[in-house]
Amino acid sequence: MRVRLTIVAAMATLLSSIGLYPLFEGTGWVWSGSGAILVVAVAGALSRRFRLPSAAGPVVALAALLLYFTVRYAPGQALLGIVPTPGSLDRLRELAGDGWTAANRYAAPVPPGAGIELLATLGIAAVAVMVDLLAVRLRRAAPAGLPLLALYSVPAAIREESLSWVAFALGAAGFLGLLLADSREQVGSWGRAVSGRRLTDEAPGERPRARTLMATGRRLGLAAVTIAVTVPTVVPGVHPRGPLALGGGGGQGGSQTVTTPDPMVSLKRELTRQSDQVVLTYRTDDPAPDYLRLYALDRFDGDRWIYSPLQSSPRDRVAGRNLPSPPGLLTARSRAVTTRISVADRVRNMTFLPAPYAPSTVSIEGDWRVDGPSLMIYSLRESAAGRDYTVTSVRTEPSPDQLARAGSPGLEVMHQHTRLPADIPPQLRRLADQVTAGARSPYEQALKLQRWFTETGGFVYDTTTTAPRGTSDLVDFLQGSKRGYCEQFAASMAMMARMLGIPARVAMGYTSGSRGTGDEWVVRSRDAHAWPELYFEGAGWMRFEPTPSGPTGQGSATVPSYTREDADGEQRTQQGEQTADSPSPSGAEESPTPGRGPDRRTDNGDTSAAPDLEAGSENGPPVGWIAAVPLVLLILAAPMAARLLARRRRWSQVAVPRPAPGGRPGPASGGRVPYGPPPATDPAGAAHAAWRELRADAIDHGLTWRAADSPRATARRLAESLEPGSPAVAALERIARAEERARYAPAPGPADTLREDVRTVREAFGAAVNRRARWRARLAPPSTMESFRKTGSRALDVLDRLNATRLRAFLHRLTRRP
Amino acid sequence: MAIGTHGESSVNPPVPARGASRDGGPGLSGLAQVATKIRDAVESVIEGKPRAVRLALTVLLAEGHLLIEDVPGVGKTMLAKALARSIDCSVRRVQFTPDLLPGDITGVSAYNQELREFEFKPGPVFANLVVGDEVNRASPKTQSALLECMEERQVTVDGTTYPLEPPFMVIATQNPVEMEGTYPLPEAQRDRFTARISMGYPDPSAELEMLDVHGQSSPLDRLTPVADAHDVRALIDVVRRVHVAPGVRQYAVDLITATRRHPDLRLGASPRATLQLVRAARAYAALDDRDYVVPDDLQALAVPVLAHRLLPTAEAQVERRMPEQVVAALVDRLPVPGPGR
Repeated sequence: MRVRLTIVAAMATLLSSIGLYPLFEGTGWVWSGSGAILVVAVAGALSRRFRLPSAAGPVVALAALLLYFTVRYAPGQALLGIVPTPGSLDRLRELAGDGWTAANRYAAPVPPGAGIELLATLGIAAVAVMVDLLAVRLRRAAPAGLPLLALYSVPAAIREESLSWVAFALGAAGFLGLLLADSREQVGSWGRAVSGRRLTDEAPGERPRARTLMATGRRLGLAAVTIAVTVPTVVPGVHPRGPLALGGGGGQGGSQTVTTPDPMVSLKRELTRQSDQVVLTYRTDDPAPDYLRLYALDRFDGDRWIYSPLQSSPRDRVAGRNLPSPPGLLTARSRAVTTRISVADRVRNMTFLPAPYAPSTVSIEGDWRVDGPSLMIYSLRESAAGRDYTVTSVRTEPSPDQLARAGSPGLEVMHQHTRLPADIPPQLRRLADQVTAGARSPYEQALKLQRWFTETGGFVYDTTTTAPRGTSDLVDFLQGSKRGYCEQFAASMAMMARMLGIPARVAMGYTSGSRGTGDEWVVRSRDAHAWPELYFEGAGWMRFEPTPSGPTGQGSATVPSYTREDADGEQRTQQGEQTADSPSPSGAEESPTPGRGPDRRTDNGDTSAAPDLEAGSENGPPVGWIAAVPLVLLILAAPMAARLLARRRRWSQVAVPRPAPGGRPGPASGGRVPYGPPPATDPAGAAHAAWRELRADAIDHGLTWRAADSPRATARRLAESLEPGSPAVAALERIARAEERARYAPAPGPADTLREDVRTVREAFGAAVNRRARWRARLAPPSTMESFRKTGSRALDVLDRLNATRLRAFLHRLTRRP
Repeated sequence: MAIGTHGESSVNPPVPARGASRDGGPGLSGLAQVATKIRDAVESVIEGKPRAVRLALTVLLAEGHLLIEDVPGVGKTMLAKALARSIDCSVRRVQFTPDLLPGDITGVSAYNQELREFEFKPGPVFANLVVGDEVNRASPKTQSALLECMEERQVTVDGTTYPLEPPFMVIATQNPVEMEGTYPLPEAQRDRFTARISMGYPDPSAELEMLDVHGQSSPLDRLTPVADAHDVRALIDVVRRVHVAPGVRQYAVDLITATRRHPDLRLGASPRATLQLVRAARAYAALDDRDYVVPDDLQALAVPVLAHRLLPTAEAQVERRMPEQVVAALVDRLPVPGPGR
């Protein structure tokens, strides 16, 4: 029946299934899954008990599982609550369908539900059946790791982010337990050698071989798991977070990284479809509503714009509170705008909320969270489909001259939002400078860029172009084809703004759409849009519109009022410039100019500095590795240094009176010792120090050192490896005698020559062993590893004891019970 | 020094022993000298068995009793006699036979017709050295009479107690228990012997030499005493003052405890064994001209002192894992006491 193996296999499956935890909310699936594992184990044990053929094992298990599922999920439709009927099967199928839908709808963690639970249990049960078949029935414990690994890799594959190390360690421990139990069974089946010994745990005598083997196996296994868990956290670049960060941030409930499908891809899909499907409708008190933003992409990695990983925690919930204030908005005029939005039912995968920038309160049901810096509103599991919600936003309406006078942004914003990859072609920089030539402020640069894209640059709006991949496509767009759609325009403008030192990011979402019946606005699929947002100190993130609008462009795109270059706007700008220039040189000029003048220059400086900054972090890994080389050297040199230090410490602690040069060593009690540590304790201490040194030297040179050997026996054995009759042998003898006297005699013997003796013996050791051992003794003396090893082995001993006594007794009791 | 001339009865106490009573050093070296003389004397008779001789001497100085166990004809009795002969003291030899009675050992009270009273006639046990030959041939009753004297160092006959003169040492020889016509000593009685040694066959060269020497006359006859009872008493006194460091005591206790826990042993060593082990180690150290005991002494003595007291389990016996091997393995594994007391 292999009861023990069955139990261990079931435990291994259970432990591995713990790795599924990030996928589900709640713990219902654990109990359900444990039940299924238990059913499989019992079914397997019974089929072995009645000696059914191997192939019958899984069949029996599956039949038992069917009963289990019926009892658990469809007892109402089943005969007597247990016998499956067509009705109960339908019910199960229905539940599975529900689960499948839910699994597709929600991002992990999936909210609890019978369907999801059923699916999870089904998966765990399948793995349990396979593990039982492989490990227990076919006695192939190693391949049984594959289904276990599959169980582990599901969350790893779905979540992109690695699992917590605890889950991994548990799963690995389960598998190791399975391997151990299997090999134990195998060794056991060889039968006992003719060694009938009493099994006393405390016996210092030899233990049965199987047990030593097991202990060795356990130790190896433990070491393997420890290495597997710790090494990735130490090696730079493998683990994104600090060592052993369990789930990250450590706030309430822990935080997790949010990932969604690439927003750019879905944008392209929506645009090219040119569909008139309504995505959402809204009512607003704003006569000219702003765009509805979904994402703010603040990182350009050379290929595409993405948003920085969101660290999400329950603290970020939007319910019943004010959102963080929009970054940078200080002095500019702003007003509150209320928007009531209803999202269409058929919208799929909308886990970010469309909202006019900058949202200040959101009232919506469910667990929606906000990302502080970007004010994106998202959910880990809910979808916006079919929801009605109200957003209050702060709409900034700066005057152009306010923007023109904006001071230089804070360092943090600057640093984060002007980064570009190092390999940006230089002609793009030249182009950016060329386009914005003559501009006197970042704001004017932005205006010139926007105008270049929409009017003077000769760009054509064309949704048939392929999505840009990398900077070369953008170069082609800017200097070659000049054909593209909002993505190219937004991405290029944001990139060029960054080149000019203006903090920029790409926003994605929908334009304000078109007015429907009454005061309702309708946003359709084709209104999907991307646009750049540029940062101005005092006003915050401001929208720009480089994409051509109107019938030949993005139909519903509008140019923000503060960038509008109609006569009025032009006038205003010019007025602003004039006021800045001439009429009030004392007031308006003086305060902003120091900001502005240097600003321009730092801009230029920044355009060249930004890539450098980026280059630094792009070359991060190599730099890390270069830094790692001295570190590795240091680690390698550590044993040698530790050995030297230990030697110095030993001798300095006892401060052995060295023989005066040329003079005879005086008697221990005599006053002839030139520098005098207390002679009363000295000889014994010196003897011990010499002995420890000798021991370390012997171990360093690979000579055996046995705890059961007395000093003189040790000396005798060590002398065998030395040249007989040499001075080293005599020195060895002297050291052993001194130590023996220090340990066992009423009064210790003289210790004058010990330090010399130890040196003599060390040199003799070096001459006696081969070259490899000699160099090892010099460079990586094993004796320094001893204390470490001792601690480790003590820990392992505890583990052994734990296992050997408790677990054995437990298993014993289990197996005794029929 | 005048030690060598103690063939005749000596009135003066030997010089080294006297020195020994004042301070350890000279007494110790004196002991070593006397011991070397005795050893040389015995070894002139027993060829090529220095270890057996040394152990016998150790037991003598440790105030213990010696059990020599081996097949017939390897010189058990010869060793006992040689040791007895080289020390000028009273020596009695008893040949144990199945019909030997307790009274033949301890002595009997006989009615004296002339004095009209019972008179105690001391048995062979009233001697400094008692050589009991083939002790396992006698009946258990007789054996126990001897063993009682060994432990108590006195004889009680008809209600009167007669103390035995120190030094008192019994050297018993026995054939291996498997041989015919033997009553093996029970473990309680084996426990009274400080050490058990076996002679073993001599190596061929020693055997050849033996032929030369023994061919003409018995070397035993030429042996003259090199020390007397007084010397031995003084030596015993020196031995008692040999230093045993606390670590070494702990080591002895650990060793004994280990035998009690060993899975191959049905019966471990007794507290008496601990006592005798340390006492023997003192003597062993003194013979080495050392005034302190080192673990090596205990290691060297562990098998002779402990092995005969231990009872293997039935399984161990079947698989021929003898107590000797068990003790040797324990000694091989037990860490020696380190620095720090």
